[in-house]
Amino acid sequence: MYLMNICSAKDCNNTALSSFDENGNITEDKGFCFEHLANKDEYVSKIKKYILDHDKIVGLTACGISFSDSDFTNKKFYGCNFQHCTFSNIHADNTRMRMCIFDFSSFENCSFLKSNIQYTSFSGSNFSQTLFTGSDLIDNNFNGATAVECSFDDSDCYNSRFIRANLQNTSFRNCNIKKTIFYNSTRDNVSLKLSNTREALFDRNTAGLVSEIDTITDEDLTK
Amino acid sequence: MKIYFHLCLEEFTNCYVVVNDSPSVMEALIIDPGKITNEIISQIENGGYKLTGVLVTHNHENHIHGLSTLRKIYSPKIYAADYEVAGNETVVLRGDGTIKVAELDVKYISVPGHSADSMVYKIGNVFFTGDCISAGMIGDTNSQYSHRLLCTNVENKILSETEDCVIMPGHGPPTTIASEKKFNIDLMPSEEKPND
Repeated sequence: MYLMNICSAKDCNNTALSSFDENGNITEDKGFCFEHLANKDEYVSKIKKYILDHDKIVGLTACGISFSDSDFTNKKFYGCNFQHCTFSNIHADNTRMRMCIFDFSSFENCSFLKSNIQYTSFSGSNFSQTLFTGSDLIDNNFNGATAVECSFDDSDCYNSRFIRANLQNTSFRNCNIKKTIFYNSTRDNVSLKLSNTREALFDRNTAGLVSEIDTITDEDLTK
Repeated sequence: MKIYFHLCLEEFTNCYVVVNDSPSVMEALIIDPGKITNEIISQIENGGYKLTGVLVTHNHENHIHGLSTLRKIYSPKIYAADYEVAGNETVVLRGDGTIKVAELDVKYISVPGHSADSMVYKIGNVFFTGDCISAGMIGDTNSQYSHRLLCTNVENKILSETEDCVIMPGHGPPTTIASEKKFNIDLMPSEEKPND
């Protein structure tokens, strides 16, 4: 599910943030983007309250907002738009996400343990000390993402894309990486131990084992 | 407007149901009916929507396989750039323009390259690109000429739009204009490209 309006400000084509009625529920009324919002602080607190008060968040657009020290455990996000947001010290274990957009966001010291995240985009995002361990991460977009000291261990990354991603000190141990695309990614101290690397795509011009021989070192598989 | 995503497991193609749930309208359209499942039918029926349109991004079987099922149940207008999609029932689109489907303004943009009849649809801030572009890559082509044509069309007609627009492709995960401008390996300057 997805809900998108364009900013009501004249000549602005940015995506409008969600509007709320007097009871605090999301409405489909046209609103403004973060830049053209009259009272930013009040709006930010409304958004945060909405997330904390609801277990199932549908069609929320909250681009450009910072979230810190919050507990989103067991929350369900459907069709939400969090482009250019900042998340620090967020506990979001066992979270369920579908059709969400987190492009160019920043995640610092966040935890998404045992989450189920599908058809979601984290393109261009920065992850630092963020954990996805034991999660279903199917059909997700991590293109151009930077991950430093992150863990994707024991996760199912089927059909996800890490094109031009920069992965440092990050582990993909015991992952399903079938059809996972790592074209043009840089991997520094990345562990793929016990993962099905033969099924992943590391080089566009070759497939399967040949590509692995070219781009994966023995060290990657034994770390 | 709400958009629902359905993955057709047989060919791993993405199908989208877009609904206009304004109480005075309650109409739906489907983009690329790769396979019509019970879930899609239930969504339309239980939601009380009237299916008024089908938008086809290109005439490849994995994107239109469910069309025959839909035509048995509903009588939607079928929009495509290729007459062969549904014969006389096809509303053939040419070039670029805007149509109204389910009371929504749908912009259609011709982007040949992957196939001659490739069409991209834009509703609100969301592009439905079919196989023209997916996250990080341009669609497959059968010649270098088609590849260049597709790259040029994508850059001029899609990536020139507002950066926070969302792209919902025919295969793979969603992406945004800003992301494709920055990370698409087919649109990178040639010195940065991997060995082709």
